[in-house]
Amino acid sequence: MRYVKLPKENTYTFLERLKEWGKLHAPVKISEKFYDFREIDDVRKVEFHYTRTIMPPKKFFFKPREKLFEFNIRKAEYRETIEDVEPFVIFGVHACDIFGLKILDTIYLDELPDKYYKVRREKGIIIGISCMPDEYCFCNLRETDFADDGFDLFLHELPDGWLVRVGTPTGHRIVDKNIKLFEEVTTEDICAFREFERKRSEAFKYHEDWSDLRYLLELEMEHPMWDEESEKCLACGICNTTCPTCRCYEVQDIVNLDGETGYRERRWDSCQFRSHGLVAGNHNFRPTKKARFMNRYLCKNAYNEKLGISYCVGCGRCTAFCPAGISFVRNLRVILGLEEKTCPSEITEEIPKRGFAYVQNLRGDGL
Amino acid sequence: MGEKIRIGFYALTSCYGCQLQFAMMDELLQLIPNVEVKCWYMLERDSSEVEPVDIAFIEGSVSTEEEVELVKKIRENAKTVVAVGACATQGGVQSWTDKPLEELWKTVYGDAKVKFQPKKAEPVENYIKVDYKIYGCPPEKRDFLYTLGTLLIGSWPEDIDYPVCLECRLNGNPCVLLEKGEPCLGPITRAGCDARCPAYGIACIGCRGAVGYDVAWFDSLARVFKEKGLTKEEILERMRMFNAHNPKLEEMVKRIFEGVKE
Repeated sequence: MRYVKLPKENTYTFLERLKEWGKLHAPVKISEKFYDFREIDDVRKVEFHYTRTIMPPKKFFFKPREKLFEFNIRKAEYRETIEDVEPFVIFGVHACDIFGLKILDTIYLDELPDKYYKVRREKGIIIGISCMPDEYCFCNLRETDFADDGFDLFLHELPDGWLVRVGTPTGHRIVDKNIKLFEEVTTEDICAFREFERKRSEAFKYHEDWSDLRYLLELEMEHPMWDEESEKCLACGICNTTCPTCRCYEVQDIVNLDGETGYRERRWDSCQFRSHGLVAGNHNFRPTKKARFMNRYLCKNAYNEKLGISYCVGCGRCTAFCPAGISFVRNLRVILGLEEKTCPSEITEEIPKRGFAYVQNLRGDGL
Repeated sequence: MGEKIRIGFYALTSCYGCQLQFAMMDELLQLIPNVEVKCWYMLERDSSEVEPVDIAFIEGSVSTEEEVELVKKIRENAKTVVAVGACATQGGVQSWTDKPLEELWKTVYGDAKVKFQPKKAEPVENYIKVDYKIYGCPPEKRDFLYTLGTLLIGSWPEDIDYPVCLECRLNGNPCVLLEKGEPCLGPITRAGCDARCPAYGIACIGCRGAVGYDVAWFDSLARVFKEKGLTKEEILERMRMFNAHNPKLEEMVKRIFEGVKE
């Protein structure tokens, strides 16, 4: 890997130069407490020490709402509406979010690529940035706190600038075109990088092993946590829509008043919504709030075999942005037996049956 | 398309804002080759409320004995009935109060005599079967286009069963409830407005009504509001504004306050 140093005084010039590579997006403060990635005009508005953006960077590639194709019913024709995407730069992506994009790639690029996602992914330049964890971060437990790839450049903070890791040929070209802005990495810089990384890893709230979590979740379907916590849930779907790896969408056909033409649109969906599990015949394979609540926990903690990690990257958004104050981390730690020692948990049946098929109070009325 | 589709737009007690909203849509011109407007006073002087139609749109709440008869007649004459707007679907803000009719009447009209027999405002579906609903105060043009377009091709429009929160997120708004602690009704209110109010930092008042299918979690949201210091009465009043006829509302909110020392 190639390493260069970007001195602090060159940071804003560098950001200005990035605009030559495409529309620049970076984290800015959008309200009193929230940050989000926005298009950057004035580079001095860029936040280098933001906690987490309310919307994950997936929004640049998997659009919250987009037109897929236009159709004509009379002519029985359709025409895909794939945007002519101009190159764009996303500056300041945290390691967890880079992993989030890598997870989306395993779904939307491998095997059967999603054209709409692919065309944007090819044009997006990713510049990562180092960060210090806050109380909600647990990427260390997900092994997503340090990105090996998935970025063109990655900036690690030094006392007097940035140690830059170059990740792709595009990254090389950006550095080469602006070579006068960069310096060589010194021994002091390496020490500073090592020190930053040491402090960062110490700053996480939890240092523990979660490797058996996905199995414990499946085994603890009868745990009282599920009832207590799903009871609080508003089913607003914010946990899904702020998640960097949630990828479900809903489609709708909109017909114009000529009764002939129209278009198909897709938008982000949430598994906390009733219609997510609704199928033909008005059957619903997740008919209760509890079933939908459990689904997210199981889905997020499932194993992504291509990357060897879970689908949750530990960014903390679903906890930090939950209006009902439900803590994903706490609930997982309850299941792990790390919050309170309640072992064995209550078992109601004579012969304990374990697994999703045996869960109580999950099926709802009328089934 | 063969025969022209006959449509009617009928008004009960309301501000006529719903039909005004749709009457001003340029897209309506596209209807001319395929649709015959049998009744829509705002568009057609020679309207008749008693002719058979394929699709009947009804705005307003049922607020007089005469309107009870009118909606029954519309139902008899229509293949499909669509309730339009907060008044027709939820009874509207005029359903908000639980004071007796006589008291309300006196406050507004005093001793004046009128030609109709008043009733407490109710949603249309309390009297007739409603096949589909277009929500909002006023409703969204997009919903009207989608409904009519879908019905025109002989298909059936989907209902909206997810909350405003989704649209806040699709648009990347900050969360009013979380950040400002304001009693935003977004989590229980039907989406489709593109989260217009929260986009301006204003808490949702629920004008599109609570999400149906028993997925409006009044209880969970009441718990959140309670933690923010709202009383049971304050919560009920806010949630009732556009949901006065929701059978679950009171019971669910009260449950949160049960066994709580006040």
